[in-house]
Amino acid sequence: MKSTAANKKVRSRRSLSRNDRFTLAAFIGIPTLMQIIFLWLPALITILLSFTYWNGINVGDIKWAGLANYKNIFFGTPVFYEALKNNVVWLLWFSFIATPLGILLAYQIDRKIKGHKIYETIFYIPVVLSLAIIGIIWNFMFQPGGFVQGIMGRDIGNAVSIWGNYHINTYVIMGVASWRHIGYIMLLYLAGLKSVDLSLREASAIDGATEWQTFRKIILPTMRPVNIIIVVITIIESLRAFDLVYIIYGTSTAWPLLNILVFQNFAGQGISMKGAAYAVILLILCVGPILAYLRTVFKEDLK
Amino acid sequence: MTSTMVVDAKYRDKQKVKDRFISAFIGFFAFVWIFPILWTIWTSLRPYNDIISYGVFSWPKHLNLDNYFTAFKKMGLTHYFLNTLYVTIPAVVLTLFLGSLIAFVVSRYSFRFNLSLLLLFTAGNMLPIVLTYIPVFWLYIKIGDLFGNRSLLYNNYLGIILVHVAFQVGFATFVLSSYMKTVPKEISESAIIDGASVFRHYWNVMLPLLRPPLAALGVLMSCWIYNDFFWALILMSQDSKRPVTSALRQLQGEYITDFNLLAAGAIIVAAPTVILFFVLRKQFVSGLTLGSTKG
Amino acid sequence: MSDATNGISRRSVLKGAAIGGLGLAGGGSLLASCSSKKVTGDVHFTIRGNLSDAGSKINIAVNDAYTKKTGNKVISQAVNSDDFQNNFVQIMQGTPDDAFGWMAGWRTNARADAGLLADVSDQVTALGSSLSAAAIQGATNPSDGKQYIIPTTYYPWGLHYRKSTMTELGLNPESISTWDDLIKLCEATKKKGLVGYALGDKGGWEAMGTFDILNMRLNGYQFHIDLLNGKEKWTDAKVVDVFTHMGDLIPYMNKNVLDISWDGMRDLLLQKKCGAMMMGSWFANDFKAKSQADYDDLWIVPFPEINPEHGIDSIDAPLDGVSVAKNGKNPEGGADLAQFWGSKEGIDAAVAAGDTNIYISSDFDTSTYDAFNKQKLAVLGAAKNIGFFLDRDTRGDFAGPVVGPAIQSFLKNPKDLTKILDNTQAQWDALPAL
Repeated sequence: MKSTAANKKVRSRRSLSRNDRFTLAAFIGIPTLMQIIFLWLPALITILLSFTYWNGINVGDIKWAGLANYKNIFFGTPVFYEALKNNVVWLLWFSFIATPLGILLAYQIDRKIKGHKIYETIFYIPVVLSLAIIGIIWNFMFQPGGFVQGIMGRDIGNAVSIWGNYHINTYVIMGVASWRHIGYIMLLYLAGLKSVDLSLREASAIDGATEWQTFRKIILPTMRPVNIIIVVITIIESLRAFDLVYIIYGTSTAWPLLNILVFQNFAGQGISMKGAAYAVILLILCVGPILAYLRTVFKEDLK
Repeated sequence: MTSTMVVDAKYRDKQKVKDRFISAFIGFFAFVWIFPILWTIWTSLRPYNDIISYGVFSWPKHLNLDNYFTAFKKMGLTHYFLNTLYVTIPAVVLTLFLGSLIAFVVSRYSFRFNLSLLLLFTAGNMLPIVLTYIPVFWLYIKIGDLFGNRSLLYNNYLGIILVHVAFQVGFATFVLSSYMKTVPKEISESAIIDGASVFRHYWNVMLPLLRPPLAALGVLMSCWIYNDFFWALILMSQDSKRPVTSALRQLQGEYITDFNLLAAGAIIVAAPTVILFFVLRKQFVSGLTLGSTKG
Repeated sequence: MSDATNGISRRSVLKGAAIGGLGLAGGGSLLASCSSKKVTGDVHFTIRGNLSDAGSKINIAVNDAYTKKTGNKVISQAVNSDDFQNNFVQIMQGTPDDAFGWMAGWRTNARADAGLLADVSDQVTALGSSLSAAAIQGATNPSDGKQYIIPTTYYPWGLHYRKSTMTELGLNPESISTWDDLIKLCEATKKKGLVGYALGDKGGWEAMGTFDILNMRLNGYQFHIDLLNGKEKWTDAKVVDVFTHMGDLIPYMNKNVLDISWDGMRDLLLQKKCGAMMMGSWFANDFKAKSQADYDDLWIVPFPEINPEHGIDSIDAPLDGVSVAKNGKNPEGGADLAQFWGSKEGIDAAVAAGDTNIYISSDFDTSTYDAFNKQKLAVLGAAKNIGFFLDRDTRGDFAGPVVGPAIQSFLKNPKDLTKILDNTQAQWDALPAL
């Protein structure tokens, strides 16, 4: 209580000179202006453009289209649903397989099992690699003449289909995407685990609780804030997924994602504002998780 | 008393066996994890002709670093690395600087719109980036024309720097402001009682205290910005100005791809972030976790 | 929708280009060499490709020859071709290089209409009769009658194969004249453990070549162009027929069609893993770069007849050339360089650097063409209607985002055909007016 009173005094506006007020305005104004001009304004422009027909060149050619682009997407573009499906698959995979695996790994490594230091390092490496490099590395594994084909005794003449085989390519892509995501989640979780009281865990072990019980009853509840953030990150990352698939497939829609459709229609060879509409749909899907994230991290401030 | 001890010991033995099993399992997993990288390194050490003549699994006739030298020369990597530096360093410094300004104000002064500001910045960091690609391009052209120099932002390092800053500053603000909340208010009080100006309060009092999170963020953001290659595709018309990650795309595709050369190129380009990570691992990890675990 | 003249006016005109190339029209060089005022200044030039590939080396050789002739420096940069095409509209609006290798058809005309490309009609005029009337018409934007590309080279889409492979198999592709012959050839190749009909469609455009030729063979050129310009329906039984034929080829294709792009197809042929491959001949430069023996082994024949009514009277023969950006720093210099590319001196420089393309200019002595090039001309000569390729014959927002995925979906799951075609038509109908 006392400190709050003191704060009030510190923060009181009275004590600010003209110069100080100017400094403060600049401190806030410059970054905010940048953020608005280079981020929020473009986003707003995209939203507006999604209601128009335009080939992206002369401003005079912009024509009002109403909801036509959206109608076109929802009722006339089957690839949209394919993309949506892939985004959902991505989300489900990350939520139920990749993220839990990352958490499990973090938990085991935190227990300092044998070799935990080297394991930790190995799982971190993909996290720092550029997607451009990840794409190349995994192409070496799967392309005709690559490792996996070689193991199966295939040369380029009778290579099996992997990237283009829609029975398995989803799993392959998920695997490659997880390669990075699992390390990322593990990293986040490990840091959180460091703050869990060791004695709690030991007490639980002495009580004869199994590993699983300890994890479920002791670890998970204490890690609640981290958990929520991980869930949100998983959702956002799944919706924003893009780079990896772009590196593998380019703008072709052999394995479409919402983001790829945005890119294909918005920036590609046949630029149209349908791309802007895709971007807005993506944004709408992201709004929920973003709000959830904000609510979690600013819980105290919002009260 | 003794009975508990016995149970305990028994439990520990069982756990030990289990742990060994778990360790082996994770070890296997880790091997699978690292294997693609090892395979790429292995590929990079072999000449293309060896593979063509004897196949991927042949025992190597030659192992050397030739591909690395060729990749460096052919791709003009030194040049592209410099491009990356021109973008990364100013972008990181500027992001941290602007982020710390906002963080400083919202955590030390109570304005009505503090929270809205924080929300604006943090949400901005989570927007789908494609939403802004094309309008940013148009904006750059228009701003350039306004000043009579179309290359003011477009096809210029400055433009790439600014978009990176705009996107990353949200994260920096968020991390730095949560950190500043943990800095005792008394420090600020004494500064104000001493009659320090807002600027001195920021520069001489707060900034030095922010060193740990700034270092952590700096490492993390260098890594992110280094790894990006999309903005350069859209905002750079000249290939010679693009960063090293884009240059890698030049090795791919068009010609009869020399995969061994490409492997060497990939390893060279990957090296800086991996090294950075090994050297500054603590900062790296705390950078990530500061942002996502502080409530 | 887009004006049909785009397609119709071009009908059978490039065939004329082929004749021009054969040397029927001559004596244009006089006009070409008397280009009036001297253009100066550095010129920036974009090469689509990477610097180490065969095509780029040829590009640089031509630019060097230009520098030698005029004293104007040419600064060349090589860019990833996909990235350049995908960001073309942005690049042209920003700070583009003055000139760049480009493709005639929709990709040029639509961007010219939008004011992104510079008019090079004067340069085309200066090149005079070395360009046949037909070639000029092929490079002309129907909406204003001007040229925005200096046409330099062209190539046929046809069945490519290696002579040695066929000899080993005891097959003679020269003799395939009907659909049944083609299937038999594929069957025989497959029996020997090779890929019968090599195809890659990861890029989403490669299989359009097969679609184009099947449509032209089955339904004729006019129907093909009308379909691409919205005058015919994708749900038509004739289009179903095209896909049915494509489906008949699937058993003979490599199993990883959607895994590989055009370069993967090329590698199949290069490494003797396949029989026939439907592709544009431009990739031959890579064969030559690999070795002369590989290049000498390469051959092309026209896609066989399916419907006697249309015989083999049509072909895809894209026209390539050099365009000039309106927003470049030195459009005049760019245009001058573009003109040089179309002139005899430019062609000579390209040939000296190992270019295997066939040229539009009649100034080039076709008797010096090697056997493969002469065969290309023969393949072109067999056709009287010339298409530019699907993604240059129709709208950009239809080809890539709609037709590409449609063909990919078909290759994934041929049973979905009806649904795929319904959707394709629906998406055409939903396109905004241009």
